[in-house]
Amino acid sequence: MTIKKISKKDMVELLLDWGREMTVLVPSRDKGVTEMTEWDGKDISFLGWYRNTVIPTKSSFLPPVEEMFTFQKNGNGYQIEVSPGQGKRVVFGVRPCDARAIAIMDKVFTDSHEDPYYVSKRKNTVLIGLGCTNPYDSCFCTSSGISPAESTDVDLMFTDIGDDFVIEEITEVGKELLATASIVKKASQADAVTMKKARAAVSGMVTRKVDTKNIVDKLQACFNDSDFWEKVAAKCVGCGVCTLLCPTCCCFDICDELFKKQGARYRTWDSCGFSSYTKMPMENPREEKWRRVRQKVCHKYEFFPMNSEVIACTGCGRCIRLCPVNWDITEVLASVPAEQPIKNK
Amino acid sequence: MEQELRKEAKKLLEEGKVDYIVGFATGSLKFSTTPLITRDKEEVASLVINPFIVNNLAKFLTQLPGRVGIVAKGCDSRSIVSLIQDNQVVRENIVIIGVPCSGLIDMVKVEKLVGRDRDEIDDVSLKGGKVTVVIGGQKTELPTEKVLFDSCLGCESPSAREYDTFIGEPGKETGGRGLGKDKIKELESMTTEERWEFWKTQFSRCIRCYACRQVCPACFCERCFVEESEPQWVLPAPKWQDNLIFQVIRNIHVAGRCTDCGACERVCPVNIPLRSLTKKMCGLVSEMFNYEAGTDKNAPPLMTAYEYEEAKDLIR
Amino acid sequence: MAVTNISPRKKKLDEDNVYLPSIAVIDRIIEETPSVRTLHFNFKEEKLRKRFSFESGQFAELSVFGVGEATFCISSSPTRNDHLECAVNRVGLVTNALHRLGVGAEIGFRGPYGNSFPLELMRGKNLVFVGGGIGLAPLRSVIYNVLDNRNEYGKINIIYGARTPADLCFKYDLDSWRKDKSIDVAITVDKGDESWTGTEGFVPAVLEQVAPSASDAMAIVCGPPIMIRFTFPVLEKLSFAPEQIITTLEKRMKCGIGKCGRCNIGNIYVCRDGPVFTYAQMKNFISDEY
Repeated sequence: MTIKKISKKDMVELLLDWGREMTVLVPSRDKGVTEMTEWDGKDISFLGWYRNTVIPTKSSFLPPVEEMFTFQKNGNGYQIEVSPGQGKRVVFGVRPCDARAIAIMDKVFTDSHEDPYYVSKRKNTVLIGLGCTNPYDSCFCTSSGISPAESTDVDLMFTDIGDDFVIEEITEVGKELLATASIVKKASQADAVTMKKARAAVSGMVTRKVDTKNIVDKLQACFNDSDFWEKVAAKCVGCGVCTLLCPTCCCFDICDELFKKQGARYRTWDSCGFSSYTKMPMENPREEKWRRVRQKVCHKYEFFPMNSEVIACTGCGRCIRLCPVNWDITEVLASVPAEQPIKNK
Repeated sequence: MEQELRKEAKKLLEEGKVDYIVGFATGSLKFSTTPLITRDKEEVASLVINPFIVNNLAKFLTQLPGRVGIVAKGCDSRSIVSLIQDNQVVRENIVIIGVPCSGLIDMVKVEKLVGRDRDEIDDVSLKGGKVTVVIGGQKTELPTEKVLFDSCLGCESPSAREYDTFIGEPGKETGGRGLGKDKIKELESMTTEERWEFWKTQFSRCIRCYACRQVCPACFCERCFVEESEPQWVLPAPKWQDNLIFQVIRNIHVAGRCTDCGACERVCPVNIPLRSLTKKMCGLVSEMFNYEAGTDKNAPPLMTAYEYEEAKDLIR
Repeated sequence: MAVTNISPRKKKLDEDNVYLPSIAVIDRIIEETPSVRTLHFNFKEEKLRKRFSFESGQFAELSVFGVGEATFCISSSPTRNDHLECAVNRVGLVTNALHRLGVGAEIGFRGPYGNSFPLELMRGKNLVFVGGGIGLAPLRSVIYNVLDNRNEYGKINIIYGARTPADLCFKYDLDSWRKDKSIDVAITVDKGDESWTGTEGFVPAVLEQVAPSASDAMAIVCGPPIMIRFTFPVLEKLSFAPEQIITTLEKRMKCGIGKCGRCNIGNIYVCRDGPVFTYAQMKNFISDEY
């Protein structure tokens, strides 16, 4: 593939160019937390401070609150109006971990019952990846089969080589986006070499590792070991930070609101960690906290791979960084007992 | 001091005086600690005391069965006393190991001051009223007022007031440094409209992770009001109106039991200044009822007991 | 601008929207017990009425707009499709709202979802239906399905119980089945009242007394989880193999289409891979959380 190049100081012009016909989302911290928000048209200081956002890129495809449709009561009946779909937009600065997470979420939302809200956002969004230069000590993406500075889960991939970015056109959509951007130049062979070196260097900076070989079988073997899971769950306080801020977690709830004959149905983030998640009138199959903690670990590392051949974790490390009690999934996975030979049934 | 703590904890387990030890161990990230909850007398060798032991461990007392030996800073001990007042914890079933505290370092403040994230910092230490930060061999000294948690700056009881054993010397009462009240003053100086806009913006970020509620020792309800569907007090969806009402009602529910330990603000992943609400509520409780939560284990809980004289002011 | 197919105006997501309910109108309400009512309803749109089909065992998400959605199995049979029926037990927000509606009210309907009772496995066999409380609702759909094709099936046993006589659901169906000589009906209550002259006892105990033969038979069980847990061992005692026992699982659901994650047990989603399972399948579930 042809690789292109742009100097960092020309980024404003490129983003403005895209911004003429599409919404541009970039990393920002102006609203009190780091997240992807609409670009203000001039500030690219994020190129300096940006490591990764607290709110993952999934919020651009599965927002914390999403209006599905509104309704108006008249008499016995209702007038329903479905919410509009997504307009064209670009999300710039998606890290490889978040980009892979979106590919994993695609498996849930684009199967036989296609989710119209997600698909509308997905089809109208160009994902522009930005390779890391400074992974956190909590990152463990290299153990999840991805590299911190390269990705094919995006439409365009930007790699930092100092004063410039090298740009790879991964998809046709990405290629089209760059086609008329005159500010983007062709990259040289030397640039390609520098890019490779930079990528290898960044990969080497990821120090946290987790061994997921045979994790499906190992977890299956210890599934009923309640002592193990009680110990694992002991310090968990049962909040939803790890799951809500996980880029691959996509459990949701649906709720209605009605006020004076007008209302709406919303889809909202939910978590298997909450005690009311599986609560039924007569009983709750996951009454005890250790069952919910077990569900989170096993869903990501056992059940999801059993169905989709991929572990539902991309090693972004948010759960470790943001957990109120520093509950660490890499420590938990390392402590899963080595597989016992399964007795023949 | 850590050795003494580990010895004491091991002794408690060996002598069968407690079933669990709850304390702090080194965390998996730099400048972090993590709660250690163990029945294993060898594991207590991991117990630590340092300026990063931030969690309020009292929360775990309402989750663990049996007798618990718990490491307690001043703020933790007030939460424990509050739980005793509420009959959530039986005093005889716990052994409180007091540890001295000169304040905990808020790494978010350090990061802002040195312009680096904590995983890029080599060392942070607290000694003699000064915090020393080492980055790439370069040392920077920062005064404690700039880097301790706001709740530590306003702390009036750094040492556990209720304890069975005390490791080291109980810290001198600092008489409340009075710092950390600036945010309240700022909010009080706003007009109603300005304050409404402020909180609307803050709560637009809330994702309803309930970390604030889950780490709060005073939030021990088996079924929280947000989980009620009949009536549905707040929508499960994180709309700012519902987020704001959730937090306001939570503050009202914990009024008189909240010790303003600051755990809620510390754990909020989207940086909502929750202590502005809890501290204001503690101030109101103090003004209206001349009461401070968690200071007297024999006092009846504030909101479930009243003196006849009070009624004359409240019921008009 | 390089990107093709730019449409600055956002498109509406009306078509093929799996979350958009169809409107149905309640045309009859039967109060079964103090807490259970059956709703008879039909789609407002005639085209949909003609087009709609489902199989016994499938469920739907019914909406009360402004209150929410909840999961109900379709209790009418696809062989009697001039209208649809769902039985609603008043236990929470949405079900209470459904109990406050009257004839003519409009509700939302999303479905049918899930798998269905395996009629192809049941054909030619003797059938033993074991139900408890409102668990008779999904069974009712398949019972009428079977009765409307009576000569394709063998003997039929129905064993049904509820906590008290007032909690017996579908009393009119029970009467009609009792009158049918080709069906063996045993009804019981956990505790009778002054006027109750029938059997008293838990459903699994009555099942053991009736002792239907397992030879060439299939057992279809539905009821509260505790009843199911005690019924399986009785069936096994009566020599029913796990492959001969079918049940339908109740689980808290929301989307109904395997996305929201709520009904996930191990690597299956009850809404998508169930709710109908054989006991043999359940024995292979990774997780016991049902």
